[in-house]
Amino acid sequence: MDEYALGVLTNIGLFSFVALSAYLLLIAGELSFGQQAFFGVGAYAGGIATAMLGLTLPVAVVIAMLCGALAAALVGLPTLRLRGLYFAMTTLAAAEMFRILFELAHWQLDVEGEQVGPDGSQGFRGIRWMLESGVEPEGFVAIVWLLLALVLACFFVIERSKLGATIRALGEDPTLAGTVGIDVNRFKLGVVAASGALAALGGALFAHHNTYIEPRNFDIMLGVHSLAYALIGGLGTAFGPLLGVMLDIGVLESSRFLQGYRMIVFGGLVALLLVWRPRGILDERVVHWLRARFS
Amino acid sequence: MLALGFTLIFGVLRRANLAYGPAIMFGAYAATWTSMNFQAGLLILAVVTIAAAVLAGAYVERLCFAPHRKGPAAAAMVASFALWMQFEELATLALPNHLYAFPALYEGGPLELGRFTVRIDALLILLATVVVCGLLWWILYRTRFGVAVRAVIDDPKAAGLAGIGVPRVFMLVFALASAIGGLAGFLIAGSQEQVTPMLGMWSTLKGMVAMMLGGLGSLPGAVAGGLALGLIEAHAGWFLGPQLRDFLVYLLLFVLLALRPPWMNTRSVS
Repeated sequence: MDEYALGVLTNIGLFSFVALSAYLLLIAGELSFGQQAFFGVGAYAGGIATAMLGLTLPVAVVIAMLCGALAAALVGLPTLRLRGLYFAMTTLAAAEMFRILFELAHWQLDVEGEQVGPDGSQGFRGIRWMLESGVEPEGFVAIVWLLLALVLACFFVIERSKLGATIRALGEDPTLAGTVGIDVNRFKLGVVAASGALAALGGALFAHHNTYIEPRNFDIMLGVHSLAYALIGGLGTAFGPLLGVMLDIGVLESSRFLQGYRMIVFGGLVALLLVWRPRGILDERVVHWLRARFS
Repeated sequence: MLALGFTLIFGVLRRANLAYGPAIMFGAYAATWTSMNFQAGLLILAVVTIAAAVLAGAYVERLCFAPHRKGPAAAAMVASFALWMQFEELATLALPNHLYAFPALYEGGPLELGRFTVRIDALLILLATVVVCGLLWWILYRTRFGVAVRAVIDDPKAAGLAGIGVPRVFMLVFALASAIGGLAGFLIAGSQEQVTPMLGMWSTLKGMVAMMLGGLGSLPGAVAGGLALGLIEAHAGWFLGPQLRDFLVYLLLFVLLALRPPWMNTRSVS
């Protein structure tokens, strides 16, 4: 595989994590414009762990996920009562606050004669754990997709279980879910924290892939893209978000004949697609049909 | 004014139109393009901005909101975001540089009023806002169309049963909101004497925050919210600098939404 294909493949994997975190919230009935913040928290936490504190990548990923879950819970706690647009707006406000905090963050350590660490809007350079421990781009793709497969497997197990049914019940009708004995607030907080951890996992990997991150990476464009990925791909199965990411990054970004017009084509496609299928390509009905067909 | 247009759409459709700001930007870009290629006066530019914004608004309504009237709000919102990207790319394709000069609203120095100096263009914007508010009030409370709009806001189903063409009202409200937005875009571009692709996101965010501050879906609230947002930003910017200012605005929005003070539950135009 050439370098370009590897890059595309890695990016599809990386952005699938954020798209999945948006999907998790969507099936629980919430719309978040703020998943980019937890992606960012993961990226910064992961970068600090390896580049500044000298930890290994697996440890850094765990730390990043914990930080992401914590940050998401922090945002989720005061907003549990909110629904729909109100919730979406608070997540947007929170995410913009996080982005500004990244811009204000200055904390650098001297690592082997070099200043390393977040430097406000100048970004955070030198997250070179991959290079230093001799992981090739092929190896990195494997790591990303292995983790993604793991996450997808978790999704499938959960969606087949009672927990998955509970989450979807929350999304269908929270009041009804409450009356049949589901602790709505506790489950919602759990879902929010899990989605934060998931986005942070993607972020930590993103930081190590790029070796350089800056606050602008985590603006609202990323958040709305991840939301769009989940909605295009479909809310019926965890493969949906993956399909959405592939359609955008894999097909449109890589097709060079569309250069310059990509956003126009993509935007039009998304709008038309949503007229035709408001819950995405792989929505619940299609998934049921496929399941009935193949089992 | 941004908040007014945003509120109008939200009040009637109960949907957030993310493409509102980008449609305004589209209008401003159309005007810039006109002023670069033709010798056009300010009045013509204003007309071009508004016309282009209305056109863009109609396109958004047809593609994002007309098909999703009954469906989930999420689909409409994401679709409007998709069109946002289209507008942004169209604008950058038409005028590829990052920044373009826009003819100034008013050439000449500020007005001296004793100890204070007042910028003429700021005064013009204030005047325009007052005029727009008056007009909007007149339309909503003194015309048949206004009665129809308020009926739809109260209960679209009942309004439809009473013989009001609900889709038509939606379409016209969208056009009205886009026209207000276009005018706002023209004034903003004229007072800053430049347009950038950032105008789209900027307008959507500011409009949304001001709407939230004033209470969702309340028109007087939108004006109050816009004024409050302007005052808070000016003061915070003076004392704290631009980054902390933005932080404060978002924090305020977050806290307001989380606590939901009683005035934010007013969901009607009256």
